Amino acid sequence: MPSGTLHFPTRALRVGLVGGAAALYLAITGVLERFNTREVITDLLDLGDLLILLVMLGAGYLAAGRRKGASDAGIPVLIRGLVAGAATGGVLAAFLLIAKALVDAEVNVREIFISVTPRLLNETLSLGQSTALGALLLLVAGGVLGALAASLQLLSPASRRPLLIGAAVMLFVGLLEGLFAEILDNLRLETGWLYEGEGLTITGAVIVFVVAGAMAVAWARFKGQVRKSVETLPPPQRKRMRTGALVAVILLLALLPQVVGRFNSNVLGTVGLYVLLGLGLNIVVGYAGLLDLGYVAFFAVGAYTTGVLTSPVSFLVTEEGAAAAPSGFTNFWVALPLVVIVAVVIGVLIGAPVLRLRGDYLAIVTLGFGEIIRTLVLSDWLAPFLGGAQGLLRVPAAPPTSLDLRSPERIYYLILAFVLLAAFISYRLADSRVGRAWAAMREDESVAEAMGISVIKYKLLAFAMGAAIGCLGGTFFAAKIGSIFPNSFGLLVSINVLAVIILGGMGSIPGVIVGAFVLVGVPDLLRDVLPPEYRLLVYGAILVAIMIYRPEGLIPNRRRRRELHVEEPEEEQYEPGAPAPEPVIAAGAEGAKSP
Amino acid sequence: MSDREPSVDGDPAAGAGDGPVEAPVLELRNVSTSYGPVRVLEDVTMEVRAGEVVCLLGSNAAGKTTTLRTILGLVRPSKGEVVFSGERIDGLSTPDIVAKGITMVPENRRLFGRMSVRENLEIGAHMREDKEGIQRDVDRVLTLFPRLKERLGQKAGTLSGGEQQMLAIGRALTANPRVLLMDEPSMGLAPILVEQVFSTIKEINEQGTTIFVVEQNANMALSIADRGYVLQTGQIVLSDSAKSLLEDPRTREAYLGELA
Ligand SMILES: Nc1ncnc2c1ncn2[C@@H]1O[C@H](COP(=O)(O)OP(=O)(O)OP(=O)(O)O)[C@@H](O)[C@H]1O
Ligand SMILES: [Mg+2]
Repeated sequence: MPSGTLHFPTRALRVGLVGGAAALYLAITGVLERFNTREVITDLLDLGDLLILLVMLGAGYLAAGRRKGASDAGIPVLIRGLVAGAATGGVLAAFLLIAKALVDAEVNVREIFISVTPRLLNETLSLGQSTALGALLLLVAGGVLGALAASLQLLSPASRRPLLIGAAVMLFVGLLEGLFAEILDNLRLETGWLYEGEGLTITGAVIVFVVAGAMAVAWARFKGQVRKSVETLPPPQRKRMRTGALVAVILLLALLPQVVGRFNSNVLGTVGLYVLLGLGLNIVVGYAGLLDLGYVAFFAVGAYTTGVLTSPVSFLVTEEGAAAAPSGFTNFWVALPLVVIVAVVIGVLIGAPVLRLRGDYLAIVTLGFGEIIRTLVLSDWLAPFLGGAQGLLRVPAAPPTSLDLRSPERIYYLILAFVLLAAFISYRLADSRVGRAWAAMREDESVAEAMGISVIKYKLLAFAMGAAIGCLGGTFFAAKIGSIFPNSFGLLVSINVLAVIILGGMGSIPGVIVGAFVLVGVPDLLRDVLPPEYRLLVYGAILVAIMIYRPEGLIPNRRRRRELHVEEPEEEQYEPGAPAPEPVIAAGAEGAKSP
Repeated sequence: MSDREPSVDGDPAAGAGDGPVEAPVLELRNVSTSYGPVRVLEDVTMEVRAGEVVCLLGSNAAGKTTTLRTILGLVRPSKGEVVFSGERIDGLSTPDIVAKGITMVPENRRLFGRMSVRENLEIGAHMREDKEGIQRDVDRVLTLFPRLKERLGQKAGTLSGGEQQMLAIGRALTANPRVLLMDEPSMGLAPILVEQVFSTIKEINEQGTTIFVVEQNANMALSIADRGYVLQTGQIVLSDSAKSLLEDPRTREAYLGELA
């Protein structure tokens, strides 16, 4: 780009205006006001303001970056950021002026925009100043923030990352006050230095930012060394180290309920249920490539079978029997294997008719099966057995967690144990002959068949394994909640579980765990930050963002990453001395990692 | 070999020029195959004897691929028998047929592109249980194609066309087949690569694998084959030794681009 000639930064302006539209949307739909009731940093930053701030920063950052060649000279970058940020601020300012003028002219703005309150105009947007000054401040603040964000683009990725990570962690800690304050409390630590009311203290915010940033710097600095020293270890020692790390993680998970308290343990339990469901569906979709949109069926089968077998009000318990001893047909531990058997049978029954279907057709048919199961449990026809719309009540908890004490901590342990078991099974399957056959089938069914892989057998096996693991989710759901209602088994469950594995990384076990935590756990942990009506919005935003920036999922499995990115060298070599594979072409967010 | 079934048309196959000739391992007896109402193979009779390279020539849509699919049990013949070492195999499932010792290098190679070279080779050995045997055959493939050895970890989809053909052949060989079916191995390859591929096929044959190769490149195929059949709209119209076929004006006209 020739220096000296000053082009008008059209693109920056456009980015800024888009940002402005977003900010305006937040303001006039009431999001801003609604979220301003929550403080992130006490006395300094409300959540609503933070959103606007982030939009301005984001506009500046995006406008400044991504254009190779033009971003060399420092000044144009800053100017681009300034223009974009100011444009964002300008839109808000213009809105403020116009709305204020309309209000002064006694036009009822709120007839259409009910959320455009006097408070929004007089205090929030005008920052407590007069309208004109407020508008000016918005414009200036936008410009400054935009330029500030743009300056990040001038930094090397190595120095930019710690800043971004520090800021992200700070936000995270600020928003999850409920969780972190509880943890500090349970560890008998002071919380005053970190939180004041619901928000972070200013010192707390700085400390978190600095510590997180420093850790990011340290990690970047020593990452290579650590990896190298691990790689040069002799295999047996390396294996021992991996086992050690695994044990440490499991211990940590086991200690979690003590640390996070009862309410958060309950959230962890729910996450665990989704991990179980996710691991099951992962076998069907991730390993075998069969897009199943009716996975909720197995969740329902698990829950209802458990209910029928263990509830004292089940049809299996005769009147006299119930009078004699108020217990179910059998106890939880006897029921468990029966549930798995029932689920496997139903898995095969559902699988059999769809064996010849591929892709979209399979998805639609399984979608139908999911709905059929839901309709069946709701039906009057089966009501004498499954309770119809009334559901099944009084499902006892699993024996070590007694009925009167349905402790979230204890059920968490139970779920954790089965999650570990399911993860272990999945892990062993992935690298087995069966796993390879599934992978081949997923990639090209007809060739797999020609190679002698019995497609029918492996598809049924996938459905059966998926059913066996997924039904455990239902079982623990029943034992955890204690009553089962048909409306817990809607399409949304299938979609949620699918979203969990897509977001985590198809075919990846750690991916399922992280995916469940992000999609199920985080919205739950944010419950006192997020008004309930925004839950799905955040859920959607997380999904969209991750699918754009990490289409392979948060923790992709090795093979899957190969599908979406050209391979990374260190994972591809089977033999020492093999020539380096093709140059790495990093795509999307991966680009930021290269030195 | 005088105990052959009579051919539908053309001369009965003369004994192959060279190479060890034994009893038929693979026979098609009056096989007809249809896809729904569409009749593709009509009364096809042919045989492949142990140790031979036999080629099946035919223009597009003649039914060559269908013949291979019928042998492998991917489609069921509506009439006739497929016999493998004296045993009827039509009606068996593909996995069973593969386990008996017939594998295929499919048309257009059709590798598992997202899997590594090594994984592709392992998939080929899917029906086998003997670990050492598999390793031995993997090693054999890697000696046959040293280029694959350097690329074991590479994703199959990123191999060059020639390497992909090598891998496709290698994948079929790790099953240690008695009969290797090949569907147009020359398709989409540069002439020099075609020659290489065919000399490898010959080499594989010399190591003891019987080969049944489908081709449109008649010149090339006949140059390594012992015998050949010509398929036209689902019927065998010629069958002879490779040498005679090369000289036969009818083949020359139809498949070697020469006017009689
Ligand atoms: N699955 C199928 N369903 C219906 N018709 C089919 C099917 N497969 C092949 N056919 C038809 O059968 C005929 C023979 O096909 P085939 O694939 O055996 O030909 P080919 O000799 O291998 O041709 P090419 O040299 O082009 O590969 C064609 O007319 C084709 O359209
Ligand atoms: Mg063909």
